[in-house]
Amino acid sequence: MEFTVLFLSVLVVMAVSWWGSRRLALALFSIVLAASVATYLHHATDTLNLSF
Amino acid sequence: MNRSIGVTLNALGLYGIALVLVAAFAGQILLNELPCPLCLLQRVLFSLLAIGPILNIRLGPRPSHYALSLLAAVVGATVSARQILLHIMPRDPGYGSALLGYHYYTWAFIGFAGAIILISIVLLLDDRQRDDKVATPVGLFAGGAVWLVIGLTAINAVSTLLECGYAACPDNPTFYELLRPIR
Repeated sequence: MEFTVLFLSVLVVMAVSWWGSRRLALALFSIVLAASVATYLHHATDTLNLSF
Repeated sequence: MNRSIGVTLNALGLYGIALVLVAAFAGQILLNELPCPLCLLQRVLFSLLAIGPILNIRLGPRPSHYALSLLAAVVGATVSARQILLHIMPRDPGYGSALLGYHYYTWAFIGFAGAIILISIVLLLDDRQRDDKVATPVGLFAGGAVWLVIGLTAINAVSTLLECGYAACPDNPTFYELLRPIR
C-alpha cells in the first residue's frame, strides 16, 4: 500500500510540475523524497533471510 | 548551451527514464516476476527523477531543477546499492531474472549513477542558465516525453495496487493480491 501511495504522490508532483506552481512542485517533491527515504529506512531494518 | 538544446536533452532524459520503466514492466508482465519492495522503491525514484526534466521543459533549464534530479538519483543509487549488497554473497542467485548479465537493481544503480554523471556534465556546460518565470510552448517531442513518463507512473500506481492490495507489500511477492480469486 505504501508504494501505491508513493506512486500516486509522484503523479501529483508531476501534475503540479506540469500545470501548477513551481514553488508548490518543489515543496511536494521534498515531501515525497523524504517519504521515499523513510520507506527505504523502514525496509532497511527488515530481517534478512540469508540464502547461504 | 541554448534553451532549445537544454529542453531536447531533458526530453531525451525523460525518454531514457521511460525506457527503464518500460523494461521493468516488460519483466513483470512477460516473465511474471513481481517487483519486491526495494524494486518498487527504485521505480518510484526513477519517476521522481523525472520531475526535474518536466520542470526544465516547462519553465526552462535551471540549476535548481537539476538539483531535484540529483537528489532523487542519489537516493535511488543508495537503494539499488543496498539491494546489490543483499545479494552479493557467493551462490546467491539474486532477485528475479538477469538482463544482459545484470539484475534489474544493478541496472538501476548504473542508471542512477549515469544520471548523476550526465546531470553534472550538463551543469558544467550550461553555466548561463536562464531564469524564466513563465511557461513557454512545448513541442511534440518534449511534450510526448512528459506524457509518456506521467502515463508510466500512473500504470505503476495501478500495478502496485493490484500487487500489494491495501496491506504492506510482501518481501517476496508471487501473485497479485487483488487478482486472487475470492473464496
